[in-house]
Amino acid sequence: MSSKLKKSLIYWAILSPLMVVILFPFAVMFVTAVRPRDELFVFPPRWGFSEFRWGNFAEMWVKTNFGEALFNSLYVSVLSTALALALSIPAAYALSRYRFRGKGAYRTFLLMTQMMSPIVLVLGLFRLMVALGMVNNLNSLVLTYAAFNMAFTIWMLQSYFSTIPRDLEEAAWIDGASHFTSLTRIFLPLAVPAMAVTGIFSFINGWNEFVLALTMIRSSDDFTLPVQIYSQVAGRFQVEWHHVMAGTVLATVPVAIVFSWLQKYLIRGMALGAVK
Amino acid sequence: MASVTIRNVEKSFGAMKVIHGVDIDVQDHEFVVLVGPSGCGKSTLLRMIAGLETISGGEIVIGDKVVNDVPPRDRDIAMVFQNYALYPHMSIFDNMGFSLKLRKRPKAEIEAKVKDAADILNLTSYLDRSPAQLSGGQRQRVAMGRALVRDAQVFLFDEPLSNLDAKLRVVMRTEIKALHQRLKTTSVYVTHDQIEAMTMADRIVVMNAGRVEQVGAPLELYDSPANLFVAGFLGSPSMNFIEGRYLRDGDTAQVICANGTALPAPVVSSAWNEKQVVLGVRPEHMHLADGGEGAAATVDVVEPTGANIEVLADLAGERVCAVFSERHPFRPGEKIELGWDLNKVHLFDPDSGNRI
Repeated sequence: MSSKLKKSLIYWAILSPLMVVILFPFAVMFVTAVRPRDELFVFPPRWGFSEFRWGNFAEMWVKTNFGEALFNSLYVSVLSTALALALSIPAAYALSRYRFRGKGAYRTFLLMTQMMSPIVLVLGLFRLMVALGMVNNLNSLVLTYAAFNMAFTIWMLQSYFSTIPRDLEEAAWIDGASHFTSLTRIFLPLAVPAMAVTGIFSFINGWNEFVLALTMIRSSDDFTLPVQIYSQVAGRFQVEWHHVMAGTVLATVPVAIVFSWLQKYLIRGMALGAVK
Repeated sequence: MASVTIRNVEKSFGAMKVIHGVDIDVQDHEFVVLVGPSGCGKSTLLRMIAGLETISGGEIVIGDKVVNDVPPRDRDIAMVFQNYALYPHMSIFDNMGFSLKLRKRPKAEIEAKVKDAADILNLTSYLDRSPAQLSGGQRQRVAMGRALVRDAQVFLFDEPLSNLDAKLRVVMRTEIKALHQRLKTTSVYVTHDQIEAMTMADRIVVMNAGRVEQVGAPLELYDSPANLFVAGFLGSPSMNFIEGRYLRDGDTAQVICANGTALPAPVVSSAWNEKQVVLGVRPEHMHLADGGEGAAATVDVVEPTGANIEVLADLAGERVCAVFSERHPFRPGEKIELGWDLNKVHLFDPDSGNRI
């Protein structure tokens, strides 16, 4: 056996307990989602089941109003991402290209906002939304998610923007481009990878967010996915676990796949900031 | 094409002044090289001509127009950057045609001009590629091509060869010079490499610490440097400097070093008698002397370069370098006698640094 193979086998062996811990909830979720209802609570619990029931998903879709929650989640995640990017791109550009008073303090401020848990701010944010008349309105989530994501997106974009040589824009100016043209024809096309990665990261944040959504949204018509799934469990006499798990599979697996595919870009993006 | 006039130009970054009132006249069709050590302000000055840095004081005139407040795109200049600054997401053709496209030139004209420039620079077969697929030398040529298609009034070069390996640098140096001889576009070229400056320039501007030390034709600066800085900066290996007391005796003169060694020196005004001076001797102006006409030296290190032999020797307590084209079999520790042609050595005032 080559030493390289041996090495990677040893690493996998060391990592395998961690993999079990991570994959176990997914496995339970999946086998619960596809088993018949009367096999949910058997003792002792077992992995196997008599029938593979995809029908659970269709039932769940109708019964839990999944479509609407899915739409709400998409609405909130897409709009908050778009808003965060629209505001972060100019901010990150200014941070990476211009010298101005208070730049260091502003960067520290951005970093510090990341150290605060949103839960600490929930009460204040709720009162703010009451004052704005936006409680029970999906746009309140769009605003808060965008605001919470902006520190991260500005930070990420700025470290990427700083790796795009200033000379390229200067060459464009000398070639006869205005600031705006050099931005749209030269700079932004080169920044697309960073914008895509930060955008997807921001999207996933919005998609997974629970506490703020639970606080701001009152009516079940406007629930986002996490809250909708939660509402199938909390305060009920009878919990349809196979529906809950089917919903959870649909809500998490696509995003988990996208995330694991993107993580290498994310790590690269973060490392960029580290070594520059 | 146009002349460039720099009048008493200053530049400060906050409280720090980096360029102190520089005056340079670049004639139409001329190739002027700004040369100096890192941090002397040469690149900043070039970027001010390009409009990429603001001007803190003075005037820059291109043609007959003061351009202090004109943005880069309206200055009608072309610039070649040190790292080429090719647009990575565009093909070579689009890179070269970008400026014409921005000026909304007809497609046929863009195509013709890019093809012409590509022909001149041997890039025709690479027009469809992206910059990442080209070698360093080819990218350098694309950057030149981008400047060529413009018919700009002035070409600016910001250390364009410093990212290339030594061999390619020599090739590109010749290419740029040949191109200038053909097109005669007014050019300002920044480099820290004195050999590039000497070989390419019509005139050299030697800069140091934000000031112009001397302006002149390459050989003029080499043969009659205005001061210690220019004398030491131009030439490789650089000029030897030996300090001592000047003693004139009728038609002969000597410099007496700290350890008492008397070195032959050229005759200058007797006002310098008994005063401290610096004797400057270029390594290639040294020769082996005999019969006590030169000065005794001890060989430290022998470096054969192929064309020449460079000898580092101890002369009157100073480390000096001498270059010989003859194949002398020197050995470390060997005692030799070094002399020099008195018509080719210089004396400098150690206080002001100026040549006497």
